[in-house]
Amino acid sequence: MPRKDLLDIVSLEREEIDCLLDQAVPFKELFTRSVKKVPALKGKSVLTLFYEPSTRTLSSFEVAANRLSADVTNFAVAQSSIVKGESVRETVETLQAMRTDYIIVRHSRSGLPSTIARMTKASVINAGDGAHAHPTQALLDAFTIKEKFPDPTGKRVLIVGDILHSRVARSTSTILKKLGLEVAYLGPGSLVPKVGPENVLRFTNYEEAMKWKPDIVYLLRVQMERQDVQYFPSLREYHRLYGVTEERLRRIDGEGLYIMHPGPVNRGVELCDGVLDYSRSLINDQVENGIAVRMAVLYWLKPGGEVVG
Amino acid sequence: MSLLIRNARIASEDSTSLRDGDVLVEGGIICSIGTGLSAPEGAKVIDAKGRLLMPAMFDAHVHFREPGQEAKETIATGTEAAINGGITGVVMMPNTKPAIDSAPVVRMVLDSAAKNSRIPVYTSGCITKDRAGKELAGIDGMRGLGVKMLTDDGDSVADPAVLLRAMQYATEFGMFFASHCEVPELAGPRALNEGVVSYRLGIKGTPAAAEEIIIDRDIRLAHAAGAHIHIQHVSSKVGMETIRWWKQRGDVKVTAEVAPHHLLFTEEDIGDFDTHYKMNPPLRTKADTEALLQGLIEGVFDLIATDHAPHTPFEKSQDFVSAPNGITGLETALVSLYHYFVATGKFGWDLVVKRYSAEPRRMMGLEPVPVEEGKPADFILFDTEAETTFSLDFMRSKSRNTPFLDKTLKGRVDLVVLGDQVLLER
Repeated sequence: MPRKDLLDIVSLEREEIDCLLDQAVPFKELFTRSVKKVPALKGKSVLTLFYEPSTRTLSSFEVAANRLSADVTNFAVAQSSIVKGESVRETVETLQAMRTDYIIVRHSRSGLPSTIARMTKASVINAGDGAHAHPTQALLDAFTIKEKFPDPTGKRVLIVGDILHSRVARSTSTILKKLGLEVAYLGPGSLVPKVGPENVLRFTNYEEAMKWKPDIVYLLRVQMERQDVQYFPSLREYHRLYGVTEERLRRIDGEGLYIMHPGPVNRGVELCDGVLDYSRSLINDQVENGIAVRMAVLYWLKPGGEVVG
Repeated sequence: MSLLIRNARIASEDSTSLRDGDVLVEGGIICSIGTGLSAPEGAKVIDAKGRLLMPAMFDAHVHFREPGQEAKETIATGTEAAINGGITGVVMMPNTKPAIDSAPVVRMVLDSAAKNSRIPVYTSGCITKDRAGKELAGIDGMRGLGVKMLTDDGDSVADPAVLLRAMQYATEFGMFFASHCEVPELAGPRALNEGVVSYRLGIKGTPAAAEEIIIDRDIRLAHAAGAHIHIQHVSSKVGMETIRWWKQRGDVKVTAEVAPHHLLFTEEDIGDFDTHYKMNPPLRTKADTEALLQGLIEGVFDLIATDHAPHTPFEKSQDFVSAPNGITGLETALVSLYHYFVATGKFGWDLVVKRYSAEPRRMMGLEPVPVEEGKPADFILFDTEAETTFSLDFMRSKSRNTPFLDKTLKGRVDLVVLGDQVLLER
């Protein structure tokens, strides 16, 4: 049963996740053809509403919508009445009047896409809200892992870094648990919440974490822009304690582990330069798969629901 | 006006059992209580068979938003909401715009109340000018107009030296202090408790420690100054235990209140960013809720107060972080206390009368209003068999920001009498 909105991973059933990941496979095959486009959403309007800066997620959604033949408009927040103090409700009511079919929204406030979804008949896709959720990132991560491990049950993913501020950590660990993988967190005590999802292990140092024998090391971007107070003494110290240093990369290579990262990368912080050329890095696969997964999401959602709020 | 209420069951603060009787009111005074009383000529007669007659409630913590934010609530609409919930006296908090921090603003509020309210309205005054935590407010001027409670409610006084001096100064005038307890640096965007839900929703939470530190700090300061300190809207178990510890020492005058919403709801109720569960202090865990209830039963909390905090639907329809804190409570408090606690046997009517009618009045230096011969008529009739649906039609508050909106609970306030006026009759 298709949904109107995609707001988080928590509310998705396992069957829905499988359906979306399966649907992304033929869309990815499309990329190898000379004509990379299908008419699935011809005549539909997709609007991107990004209150936060973004390069890869915004362009990934735009490419995905274009490949489905939808009409894509980028709502230029910086040039809009929003900077004159227009509220989100007023903006959404304007978009509602324009009969937009899909609104893809990114905002620094957790929960804002849910608020918007209640106000509009359009399908709302959460492209990242505060530290809450980033469901399409989670789906593309899961898709990427399934490409390497077609049956990923029991595989181990070590997520490293600023868990507290990371919507990627929340959504990706949630989807991985739903797919039967094991997940562990590693990071500074000030950035790994003591309370959080059940059945997620917490490590405080690399040595201990590596003894757990992960299959994938998933590095998170250290989000200095979200840190209103100091959570660790210096980036140098962070790199030394929690980053993939050259020495750690050699060990990771020796054990045949995959590396993932949602980007953009802080070189010399969460990882050393060499990781970018590492043969088992899945970072570029994540980007490519993002388009296929987002096409699947747009194709799956059904606009036209009720306005309830 | 003569009023005869027949066949009532009368509740009081000092007895777990109800007594049956007829109550005759003449000239605003309860002139006799007995059985088979005959009605004077022209008297209004109400058969209260099966219904409860009890002292009207008194809410020592309400926000009426006047002056300055009348789109949310006014003294007129707020007091009508109070009557609708069986309440005949309120204490306003001073975080209006402008803040109630001087005699002229107190005068403005009291003038409006005299003109627009059918029940007595008391106001607290700020501790510091504009609640900024720096300079002391116009304390003597406010006292001269009857202000007894000083509070910067909505915020703590951040600087303990300022609060200590205020306590040393104003205690001399017989005033007391009420504390909103929160360390701002630990409070995040002041949206919800730090815990599993804040992690799930990706919003920085406010740890219970932010509240507990100030509860302890402010009682210590009151201890040092010889002041009476009243701790407002306690939400945490450790906070409650801190108050209990200080009370057991017995060398500082400390009182405390708990709000119905902190007894009834937990952080889990926030669900998918439902702003009707956003309040400050935030909803915490089931363990906190259970401890607060125990604290109320054991008398750690002297009174129940709602922290009635109206906001417009537009404000509450924003995202969870942007939406303002607070829910309305005047119209739902008594019915919800009955539905969830009295009807389920958690506590009796005596506790409700003591904690939500008698003690708040005593704290404000007023006489309680028991249903006794010779006392002024200030009571309500409550039907335990009927139900109340908190529909928009039912509400008298300007705002509708309550988790109970459109819900139906057991119990109904049928009659509110104050002096020789019937303020409400259903």
